[in-house]
Amino acid sequence: MSFDIALIIDSIPKMLMGIGLTFQLLFLSLALGTALGVMLLILRISGRWYLSWPTMIYIYIFRGTPILVQIFIIYYGLPQLEFVRDGIFWPILREPFGCAIVALTLNTGAYLSEIFRGGVLGVDRGLKEAGSALGLSVTDRFIYITAPIAIRLCLPAYSNDVVSLMKSTALASTITLLDMMGIARTIVAETYAPYEVFISVMVIYLIITWAIQRTFGWIEKRMSRHVRQ
Amino acid sequence: MSDSDVMSENIIQLENVDKFFGDFQALKNINLSVKKGERIVVCGPSGSGKSTMIRCINRLEEHNAGKIVVNGHELTSDVKDIDAVRSEVGMVFQSFNLFPHLSIVKNLMLAPQLVRKVSKAEARDVAMKYLERVKIPEQADKYPSQLSGGQQQRVAIARALCMNPKVMLFDEPTSALDPEMISEVLDVMTDLAKEGMTMIVVTHEMGFARSVADSVVFMDEGEIVEMNPPQEFFENPKSERTKLFLSQILTH
Amino acid sequence: MEAITGWWDDFFWGSLVVVELFFVALFLTILFGLIGAGSKLSGNKTAKAIANGYTIIFRGTPEILVLLLFYFGSAITMTAIAQIFDPTIKFVDIPPFWAGSLAIALIIGSYATETFRGAFLGVDPGQIEASRALGVSNLQTFIYVRIPAMWRLALPPFGNHMLSLIKDTALVAIIGLEETLFVAEQAIGTTGKPFTMYILVGAIYLGFSTIITLSVMRLEKYANKHLEVTR
Ligand SMILES: Nc1ncnc2c1ncn2[C@@H]1O[C@H](COP(=O)(O)OP(=O)(O)OP(=O)(O)O)[C@@H](O)[C@H]1O
Ligand SMILES: [Mg+2]
Repeated sequence: MSFDIALIIDSIPKMLMGIGLTFQLLFLSLALGTALGVMLLILRISGRWYLSWPTMIYIYIFRGTPILVQIFIIYYGLPQLEFVRDGIFWPILREPFGCAIVALTLNTGAYLSEIFRGGVLGVDRGLKEAGSALGLSVTDRFIYITAPIAIRLCLPAYSNDVVSLMKSTALASTITLLDMMGIARTIVAETYAPYEVFISVMVIYLIITWAIQRTFGWIEKRMSRHVRQ
Repeated sequence: MSDSDVMSENIIQLENVDKFFGDFQALKNINLSVKKGERIVVCGPSGSGKSTMIRCINRLEEHNAGKIVVNGHELTSDVKDIDAVRSEVGMVFQSFNLFPHLSIVKNLMLAPQLVRKVSKAEARDVAMKYLERVKIPEQADKYPSQLSGGQQQRVAIARALCMNPKVMLFDEPTSALDPEMISEVLDVMTDLAKEGMTMIVVTHEMGFARSVADSVVFMDEGEIVEMNPPQEFFENPKSERTKLFLSQILTH
Repeated sequence: MEAITGWWDDFFWGSLVVVELFFVALFLTILFGLIGAGSKLSGNKTAKAIANGYTIIFRGTPEILVLLLFYFGSAITMTAIAQIFDPTIKFVDIPPFWAGSLAIALIIGSYATETFRGAFLGVDPGQIEASRALGVSNLQTFIYVRIPAMWRLALPPFGNHMLSLIKDTALVAIIGLEETLFVAEQAIGTTGKPFTMYILVGAIYLGFSTIITLSVMRLEKYANKHLEVTR
């Protein structure tokens, strides 16, 4: 057994060709998942049981099952159903990329809505009351008081979730996508050199994690200067 | 005088108001009328329902029975009436409740812009005017966490004043403050009283009550036990409960 | 639905594998978590540096990557070692069960390290001082004061780690362990009903998650019994 430096030098550029796909998966499902998370949050705290209950069940299911199983259900499972094949979303669900985005979005949306809810619940009741006492409407209170403070409060958890999401993008390799992980697996299958290849790709992932944490650390520092928990 | 004249003279009117938290009755048959320009100080032991009463006046709490009329609007679950009342009634809290993510001047501008729909420039002018009134215009661009407690509470008063309220409610505005900051807040409140603002103030600052109040209300166990002008209230308390309370508070 | 009929027993055994995997990995997770937290809290610079490296690497890398590295890496290492003794050997691997439980335990253990460390530091020092001031020995203080206070703090986040752990067991199907997801793949091969089979796997996992959530809630209630308000 030896450590093949040449192989590392050879495979890193190949794996970096997949970084674009990794980033596409990350940013697209993060944007969509954030929007979904906000929607779920609003339904959840609407105070109407017929809106909040289904939301809670949705969140419960998506947080209670493995993301890999969710990916498999969407990619391998849904085509079994005729109405899916005839439906308007078929062009998206036919492609592994579309399926990965859908799965990652649905999953991360469930987690994010709970994170957002934590932030909203963390906002001091007195501040909402002060808003009420000034005559602000429910909507204005949410937009100008609750939301901006809640965002600051849940930034650390949000940043952790972005890292989790980034790690989950590697599961796209299980449905034939050639993201960084997918390429790494292909190279290992050809060369049978797991240490060299997997450790190299691991380093790339660690750098991305580090960059995510640094970015959010910076945003947090800037935004939360005056807001303490 | 006709009935409607009495009503119009009373800017705040509570009739037989009850309030329950679950099984617990926090307010029992409260009757209180406040005329325009009147200054009422409310005192009483902890848990006696002082906060609950004034919070019912701008419907931060909903009363369960009786009638509350503020500036001609009866408080019901009608949202329009509530917003109308709230924008005419200013409130200052024990814990300041300044919006931590907004600068001082933005704290003052928010409600006029959103509720009164005034322009940004106008809101800023009004905000600066009131910051000068509470003597801290130089803090305008700082954030609440950078101010002392006394300064924060003065900002909170200015914030309420920016809405041009007809009535100001104060819920123990000085009890979260260090002793040396109490007077700067009381001074602002005294000035406000001199200008003729209608005020209901929950406080244990008896000096303030003596010099500013038209009447002092004593509450205990959810009831208004006694209500009299300060002279009468302090020198000649009627009920035993009032005497006991005064003996405890005045020895401090 | 009838597609599942012939597969019930396979799914049952698959679920049992998940349970075994869960408990073995849970035990190792606690072990790694305690070692990690101990090292981070120790005065030893090397131990601290290793523990820091451990948490950075295992919390920042995709789970599937750790698992594959572990499985294929160990296989290659073991094969190399075996060939020293017997050059005719072609391939040795460690059983997927063990590769899987080790990999999962290392991942979740890196989170547990932070949880345990936080819980240790979160214990009110006043309590420790009070106990010492009463003449209680260091060891007794640790056992009777610090540990109970610590596990109360650690329980809620650790409950979340257990949920992550059970869900990560699904990954081990990728390296061929015959747990539910793997069974589902076989069942799909003969029935051609992927939706049905994967939904069933999802339902099984939802059941496991529910059991864990309820258990943790009970434990938390028990742990915080003394804090309940008596009326
Ligand atoms: N949201 C609530 N839910 C249940 N009980 C409440 C609530 N708010 C107040 N109470 C109860 O109602 C009673 C009156 O409370 P309130 O805050 O009005 O008293 P207070 O006179 O303002 O006392 P303090 O001087 O301590 O501020 C108390 O016994 C309190 O426990
Ligand atoms: Mg009070």
